[in-house]
Amino acid sequence: MNHTSGQYFDGKTSKPQDIELHLDETNAELRFGIYLNTTICWQLEDITFEHIGDSLEIRCNSNLPAHIKVVNDTFAEEFISVLKTKGHISWYQRIIRLEIKIHVAAAALILGIIIAGYLLVIPWVGEKAVLLIPVHYDISLGHTFYKQYVESNSIDSEKTKSLNLFAGKLQLLNTQKLHFTVINSPTVNAFSLPDGNIIVFTGLIDLMKDYDELAGLIGHEVSHVNNRHSMKMLCRNLSGYIFISAVLSDVNGIMAIIGDNVNNLQNLSYSRQFEREADEQGTRIMILNGINPEGMTDLFTRLQSSEKVVIPAFISSHPITSDRIVYINKLIKHSPHKYVSNPTLNELFHQLKN
Amino acid sequence: MEIEIENEKTIPDLKKYKLSFHGQGKAYFGILIVNWLLTIVTLGFYFPWAKARNLQFLYGSTALEKDRFTFHGTGREMFVGFIKTIVIFGIIYGILLLFIYLEMPVLGVLIFYFAFIAILPVAIHGSYRYRFSRTSWRGIRFGYRGDRSELFVGFFKWIFFTIITLGIYGCWMEMKLRGYLLGNVRAGNVEFKYKGVGSEYFVLNLKGYLLTLITLGIYSFWWYKDLFAYYVDNLSLHKDGQQIKLKSVATGGDFFKMSMINLLIVIFTLGLGYAWAVTRTMEFMTSKIKLEGDMDLDTILQTEDDYNDATGDDMTGLLDINFII
Repeated sequence: MNHTSGQYFDGKTSKPQDIELHLDETNAELRFGIYLNTTICWQLEDITFEHIGDSLEIRCNSNLPAHIKVVNDTFAEEFISVLKTKGHISWYQRIIRLEIKIHVAAAALILGIIIAGYLLVIPWVGEKAVLLIPVHYDISLGHTFYKQYVESNSIDSEKTKSLNLFAGKLQLLNTQKLHFTVINSPTVNAFSLPDGNIIVFTGLIDLMKDYDELAGLIGHEVSHVNNRHSMKMLCRNLSGYIFISAVLSDVNGIMAIIGDNVNNLQNLSYSRQFEREADEQGTRIMILNGINPEGMTDLFTRLQSSEKVVIPAFISSHPITSDRIVYINKLIKHSPHKYVSNPTLNELFHQLKN
Repeated sequence: MEIEIENEKTIPDLKKYKLSFHGQGKAYFGILIVNWLLTIVTLGFYFPWAKARNLQFLYGSTALEKDRFTFHGTGREMFVGFIKTIVIFGIIYGILLLFIYLEMPVLGVLIFYFAFIAILPVAIHGSYRYRFSRTSWRGIRFGYRGDRSELFVGFFKWIFFTIITLGIYGCWMEMKLRGYLLGNVRAGNVEFKYKGVGSEYFVLNLKGYLLTLITLGIYSFWWYKDLFAYYVDNLSLHKDGQQIKLKSVATGGDFFKMSMINLLIVIFTLGLGYAWAVTRTMEFMTSKIKLEGDMDLDTILQTEDDYNDATGDDMTGLLDINFII
């Protein structure tokens, strides 16, 4: 079909003029007559068009803002295919006119690349970024937290002294100076700060039955400090956040929110990964010091019995305790070790328990 | 004889005009995906072109009396505007840093905020000029004829009153701004008028706010309906003594239904259904605006010039101000 009826708008008034439009393939032009037998020819190479829904609007660059409007699908197809063979269709028109299946596939592909990039690139960037951050950042970060949070709690100075003596007897592979603090609180918890400050609550010490469990806890917390886990966590979270915002924030609000939540879950998985690393290195520290590595699993068994609810792994910052026991047992089985009882540590441990 | 003509004028033959939206979610989805892909591949540089494609689709899918609007703006124009915007913001931040370096931070911050407020009317003015000059219907260009200095002076006056009344004057400011901006819009020789006033708008907002609080948010859809109606119903078009009046027939329930379904679409498609949410909203809005009057739409004359500086449009984009119309 190379002719159709349409409407011509001359760009001077809003009055539509009915026209008969001819598509002349040989001369590569569009031809139509308007009032007083005037014929207008538009060269195909000068033409731009918009085809939205059933309406085709054709413009000629040499005659803006005049345009032709055609509502005829058969003609539109023909017109576009002629433009295509003459090479007057832009790459954008070609892409946009592809079927929705291809667009959906493209969307899936982009999402796939983003997810792959996110899972592979972010941990790597986090790891490399940490190397660029000087250690004194870790130290000042830890100091600030210690001053604001720890010093306002009731510190048990006697027990703090004993715990420092206890840790002093161990070889902890530390690169930073370590300092231990015992806080009087029924909370069953302990944590480390990036500057080498390690805080233990009496609630946790009270739960322990043997000094090898305390050694396990110290090994675990020291491994966090040795590996700069806090700083790594910070770098990964930050780079993940930047990545997600850069890719999704311009798309739409809902996608940005979904992205943020995925990012939070992913951060928790990094956290679990670091906990596991600390568990394993802590166990190795115990073996290195000739302490029974089963103290680590004993510690977790006690923690497990004190837990009231079990949080599913994917929304937890720590691996599930029963999983921790399993992989530590596996590690112990595969590492040759000897241990002797250590009366000094035992005595210091009992001082702490009092 | 005179009286008879008068009578004819007061009871004119009222015609209805149809506003409609024909864009399909499927087609819009393709445009958004291609935009997204190209923006990522070009590390964001495609953004102005993406914006132009987006507007071209949305304008091109909206029709008055079956004839579609056209957006003629191009990515290149928007890119140039984008670069100018970056330079302007760069200079403002540069001045702030200079004053901090000169150890006069308070003065620096004051100038910084003043510059930002001063940019607003300039950006809005530029945005209106560009956006309307790039819009046409039946080959007739729209245009914005507001005066930049006039808007600038008015804007500062309104901002000043808004600050000293702790924000209450904001309602009056919004109506005066809208009145000025829309009052200067042309489509060929058709003039726009907006007659909303601050006091009514204030009462509307106060009522909406209080009832939304009392009903724990449920009333917000009815509040929104009122705001939409206040905007639409006060808008009219004029040419040679003929006019078209706009009227909203949307109800609070309509808004509720539309928002809820859109929310569900977007959530259950993990955001990919956004295209359908937008086309549904456009369809809703256009179908709920009724136009009635005695204007002959075949006799509009071309009057407006071409204008291709997109800086204002990019600045409002960067400042996150939504285009008002």
